Amino acid sequence: MIRKLLRDPLAHFLVAGAAIWGLLALAGDPVDPASRTIELSRERQAGIALGFERMMGRPPTDAEMDWAIERWIREEVLYREALRLGFDEGDAIVRRRLATKMDELAGAEAEVARPSDAVLEQWLADNPGAYAMGGTVTFEQAYFPSERAARAAMTEASPEGEPISLPRSVARMPLTEVRVVFGREFAAELSALAAGPDWQGPIGSGYGWHLVRLAKRDGGSGPPLAEIRDRVEADWRSATIAERRQRAYEVLREAYTVEVE
Amino acid sequence: MRTILLATAAALLTGACAGDRPGEPTEAQRGDGTDTIELAEFPNRPYWGDTHLHTDTSVDAFGFGVRLGAEPALKFARGDTVTATTGMKAQLDRPLDFLVISDHSDAMGATRRLYDAPRILVRDPTLRRWYDMMHDSPEQSTRAVGELITAAANGTIPEALIDPERQAAATRELWDSHLDLLDRYNRPGEFTAFAGFEWTLMPDGNNLHRVVMFRDGSVKTGQVVPFPGIDTTPERLWDYMEAYEANTGGRVLAIPHNSNLSNGMMFELVGPDGGAMSADYARRRARYEPVVEATQIKGDSETHPFLSPNDEFAAFGVAGWELGNLPLTRRSTPDMYAGSYVRNALLRGLTLEQQMGVNPYAFGLIGSTDSHTALATGDEDNYFGKHTGNEPRAGRALESQNLGTAEGRFGWHYLAGGYAAAWARGNTRAEIFDAFMRREVYATTGPRMVLRLFAGFDFAENDWDGDWVRTGYTGGVPMGGELQDSGRAPVFLISALKDPEGANLDRVQVVKGWVDADGEAQERIYDVAWSDMDGERRRVSGRIPAVGDTVIRREATYDNTIGAPELRATWRDPDYRPGQRAFYYVRVLEIPTPSWVLFDAKRFGFDLPPDVVEANVIQERAYSSPIWLKPRRRPGDAPLIMDEG
Repeated sequence: MIRKLLRDPLAHFLVAGAAIWGLLALAGDPVDPASRTIELSRERQAGIALGFERMMGRPPTDAEMDWAIERWIREEVLYREALRLGFDEGDAIVRRRLATKMDELAGAEAEVARPSDAVLEQWLADNPGAYAMGGTVTFEQAYFPSERAARAAMTEASPEGEPISLPRSVARMPLTEVRVVFGREFAAELSALAAGPDWQGPIGSGYGWHLVRLAKRDGGSGPPLAEIRDRVEADWRSATIAERRQRAYEVLREAYTVEVE
Repeated sequence: MRTILLATAAALLTGACAGDRPGEPTEAQRGDGTDTIELAEFPNRPYWGDTHLHTDTSVDAFGFGVRLGAEPALKFARGDTVTATTGMKAQLDRPLDFLVISDHSDAMGATRRLYDAPRILVRDPTLRRWYDMMHDSPEQSTRAVGELITAAANGTIPEALIDPERQAAATRELWDSHLDLLDRYNRPGEFTAFAGFEWTLMPDGNNLHRVVMFRDGSVKTGQVVPFPGIDTTPERLWDYMEAYEANTGGRVLAIPHNSNLSNGMMFELVGPDGGAMSADYARRRARYEPVVEATQIKGDSETHPFLSPNDEFAAFGVAGWELGNLPLTRRSTPDMYAGSYVRNALLRGLTLEQQMGVNPYAFGLIGSTDSHTALATGDEDNYFGKHTGNEPRAGRALESQNLGTAEGRFGWHYLAGGYAAAWARGNTRAEIFDAFMRREVYATTGPRMVLRLFAGFDFAENDWDGDWVRTGYTGGVPMGGELQDSGRAPVFLISALKDPEGANLDRVQVVKGWVDADGEAQERIYDVAWSDMDGERRRVSGRIPAVGDTVIRREATYDNTIGAPELRATWRDPDYRPGQRAFYYVRVLEIPTPSWVLFDAKRFGFDLPPDVVEANVIQERAYSSPIWLKPRRRPGDAPLIMDEG
């Protein structure tokens, strides 16, 4: 029977759940784990039904409900006996689970909150770096294996350069893509140039040297909130949860003194 | 009161799976990406990915200690900073474009559940021992999983851990929430998250593992669950894949890997029962396994010096791994190598095709990591280990490995891992998956070289002066393609451009395999372009002088004063014979650079034995998928098996 419980995800869940109910009990719910009376309130029954429904995707039949309750009672008996024997103490899992649940409670509100656009706009304004696309660039380039050759070609009206499998010209390429195709060094040096009709450079890259005619640079700021709302909301949520957990911990932590031998 | 309690219960019940993740996925994110972004006319650049990554859902990875799941894995792959299990900040030097999380389908999530179970409920003595070991220390936990893998190889895993019925409900739940997560991170045009799993067939410890990769989003992939590998056969896997495609209209492929640890079983000349291979078996294999993972952390499977004695670069990533199968329960003997390495498998494919009209081993090549840390990095200077037990720390390079301890496999035998490059018209599930299906993909051992390969009959030197990519696609076939013999020698346009953040290139080679007039399979390597080819490195009696070596061992540095940024060749096969059945693939070699082991020695300040130092000055490389030259078809020949999609 215990083996059967082990293979049942619901059992795993209920063990965790039992620990949480225990926690709630300490917080005021009038259940005494040491008592030998098990009261099965309507709320508890609803909770069991809900557990079944979440697992199976449908409400339980009467027979299934009876069985689920029977199982719950069995578990409650074993749970209380375990408490009586002090199994909850010194158990690393119980300890960690309870700590995790405390953590999750602190962030629980933020997990379901629907932040307003104003909140997210503010978040975007405070954290622009993560969303900036760096804009797009339109340019021509000529490649040279050496800096000297590149400098010598600066005098030409339209430098040819040497053949290489890189685009001779690109139109409205995102800077992130420039980084992939031409490499980081090239993208960084290109970003520092001003757009204009003249050939500039040479600028370096992992391949060699380039003369560049930067025709146009667009954007460079972040996209509007509407385009990236999902991502911003997710990031806001994870940051808010982390922050609330930390704050809750700090409040609790303040009441403790840690003595290290 | 009741409402409040119900709400509390609901919050608690969902608490375990909610958390930090993007909002509801859009329609575009949930599908295969068709019509979601503007596509280039021809595949415009290689998209980089890892098709082989494990997280804490994998039965072994969790036991080895990893505590990162799919979500941090996806974040890491797209370029975010995450915290590795052992506490270090981890970030890729450059983001990846796509990722297949391939947790083992067998006992999915089982070690995590075992670990989290109350001890008194763990009754099986073996499981209880593993449970205690997992809770004791990281070292003990790693040992427990070593035992588990050996038990899997020997078929002695405790029933409680792998019972299909018991496992099914747990897998269903894991898979559904995993698919939802993938859709949330799947962003057409930016980052592609593929559903997949690893199918871990391992008779007697001989590695016949495949990564299974789906083209589709959760609407279709949610109609199946990962197919278990224990006690089954590849044909049953293909049945599963065929049923998936028939029932959902979706697409799925499988990628064999670590043939180097299969003791000759991955690419057999015979059928699964030991008799002649049937055409049906060959056809199905080619249909469902269009790509093979040729290089990864657990060694390189391109070829072996025993099989390719005239290939001076054949020994890469072979040491240690050649000794035996995966858990080293059985040693290898040289007669097994022919079925263990991909070049020889490609040759066998030609022979089998000649015999029965179908080539079971007509596959393309990719690299990947097989990392069990949830961190998809194949970079030498950013190696996070095979598993959490060897995440960065001083001793990892010289220790024995966890499997086959004291049998001659050491930490430094691990490669940093490779990547898969896919030539696609845009970054979506459909585009990248289809590139895999038509084998327009290539393998690298980590660096992101850009490798183009086209074959036709009319290419000429001056094609390079114009839009040669267009010429390549319109006048020939790209890597992965097939040419019908036209009575003339095929001509190849080959361009290898270095990784802009990496090392220069030493040389580009064409590896040709063919069946000669006597029916014997032959291979030959042609150097077709190399740095300084008209200067210091002129060919001397058929040999090209070595490129040199700028690696400063103690510093783990090199410089690009040797080698070339790009190598190009217009190459016509000088040994073509009309009617010949052949394949051609390209191998690109970088100049020598330091491996992760030298970076480790520098970072942690320890000395390596001289032979280990020299073994870790390496020439990283890329392998293109082959192009096949097929004899002209005659009436009555078996039908072509090219992908119809």
